[in-house]
Amino acid sequence: MDGAVHVHELRKVFDVPEREPGLLAATKSLVRRKTREVRAVDGVSFDIEPGEIVGFLGPNGAGKTTTLKMLSGLLHPTDGDARVLGHVPAKRERDFLRRITLVMGNRNQLQWDLPALDSYELHRAVYRIPRESFVETRDELIELLDVGDLVRKPVRQLSLGERMKVEIVGSLLHRPAVLFLDEPTIGLDVTMQKRIRAFVAEYNRRHGATVLLTSHYMADVEALCRRVVVIHHGSILYDGQLAGLADRFAAYKTIAVALENGFVELERYGEVIHRDGDLVTLRVPKAETARVTARLLAEQEVLDLNVEDPPIEDVIELVFAQERAV
Amino acid sequence: MSTIGSTMRAELVGAGGVVERNYYLTKRYIWWDLAWFIWTVANTLTIVFIAKGIEAQGGQLDVNRVATSLLIGAVVWAYLGVLFEFLMETVAWERWEGTIEYTFMAPLSRSMHLAGMGGFSVLYGLLRAVFLFTVCIWFFDLSVPDAEFLAALVVLAIASISFLGIGMMTSVLPLISPEKGTQLGWIAQGTLLVVSGVYYPVEVLPTWMQWLAKISPATYALEAARAAILDGQGLSTMWDEIWPLLVIGVVSIPLGLWIFSRGERYAKKHGKLKRSG
Repeated sequence: MDGAVHVHELRKVFDVPEREPGLLAATKSLVRRKTREVRAVDGVSFDIEPGEIVGFLGPNGAGKTTTLKMLSGLLHPTDGDARVLGHVPAKRERDFLRRITLVMGNRNQLQWDLPALDSYELHRAVYRIPRESFVETRDELIELLDVGDLVRKPVRQLSLGERMKVEIVGSLLHRPAVLFLDEPTIGLDVTMQKRIRAFVAEYNRRHGATVLLTSHYMADVEALCRRVVVIHHGSILYDGQLAGLADRFAAYKTIAVALENGFVELERYGEVIHRDGDLVTLRVPKAETARVTARLLAEQEVLDLNVEDPPIEDVIELVFAQERAV
Repeated sequence: MSTIGSTMRAELVGAGGVVERNYYLTKRYIWWDLAWFIWTVANTLTIVFIAKGIEAQGGQLDVNRVATSLLIGAVVWAYLGVLFEFLMETVAWERWEGTIEYTFMAPLSRSMHLAGMGGFSVLYGLLRAVFLFTVCIWFFDLSVPDAEFLAALVVLAIASISFLGIGMMTSVLPLISPEKGTQLGWIAQGTLLVVSGVYYPVEVLPTWMQWLAKISPATYALEAARAAILDGQGLSTMWDEIWPLLVIGVVSIPLGLWIFSRGERYAKKHGKLKRSG
């Protein structure tokens, strides 16, 4: 049985015009236009169960937003099968549209010159939300995101972070069951990012919403997602637990050790990547971790020792360096 | 039956939401709209002054009648132009506001979305046309003792349907071409202006243009409005103008919706539903 989101061999191919630089080439292209095929999404498959929060990671141009747009019906796939809550997004069925939302961090749905409250009323009419339910949801979201003072101001007078919060309220007034969040914290300060992360987690907890989140901020992914799907050049490189990313792709671990006397030669144990007085961080091949740890404990005066996976950002960088799925 | 009824009611509520949104936007840009209205008044005065100008240069004409005829042309065209432009800029406006993706994701049927745009444009255009006509009638002290204004308004209402349909067809152009689509729409509007007898009888046009005039709803709207206001003719004598308007309306609305849906499908296939490019 399909989950909340079912994607099978999804493809999106664009014909992109291309020409050589220069005036002559520009003139020739009027008569004879050359195009090349760009496979923005190339045979992507995954399933997301109801209530899951899944991170959808990839470098710029990997195909994340293209996939999200196909799942929300804004783009028609070239090939493959996509279903959200049992609906085919491209068919634009009302039942489907009323149960999803797509929040794009660099886009707005609220009218620029109107207070958010006015735009929320239009939203209520378009999504056919009964008045009582609308007021309850609106007030709950306003309280959760603490935007009571902001919703009466014209949106153009709000800062980026404030605007993002009122936009999120507008996107959730119809209590969607599936949330596609496309870089919702882009450009926001650290405090605002934390606030939005906390909100998404709370919304998921309260309403069991399914969330597919793209973000370049690993803090978003680490805070919210137990599972990640990594896409690059339109293909999936990894689909599994976030914790498993390091196991699969990182060839090393880091050992953070506090020594009685930090001024010793430690290069024979591994690569010293950081030294701060008596605190030293070593990078060692994964297979060598246990042996190096034992040697350090036996040969040095160790006050404290921590074995860690490399930072998730470093792991993601390694993943993106992959040409094809392993 | 009750499901159909509740669906229709919900769709109309959604269309009403679109009307309301346009009201808020107009309210916010009211000073710009006022400036545009003043420009329209000035432009209309310029056109109506042509009658007085011909007389001043020795021409023999019924100044009151010619001036009123020119005024009717200018006001009707100003009204129909508002309808046309509102529909034509539906997509362009969404792009400017950055709301295009969200609007196309909303659970509102495209016909109701466009109907909401059309509904507001009729109300706004009518208000504007009434003000414009009143100001100019007063300015030139024109006399229209036999005018059947109600008949003229009914004809305008029927013509509105056709113009909304044509507007829907051109509203697809910014969808297909974000950069040049709106400009192409102006070409369509300009063509209708030339062939529809807005400021001159259609009979003065070359024969091939007179054939184009036959399919322009503005031609019949203008003929009927002039007959009603200048000669006091009622609706019962206007069937020759009304039936072509009805036919064009019945054809243009579904055709406009179909063309728009094809354009939307094209835009979604080629990734053109975005803020720019």
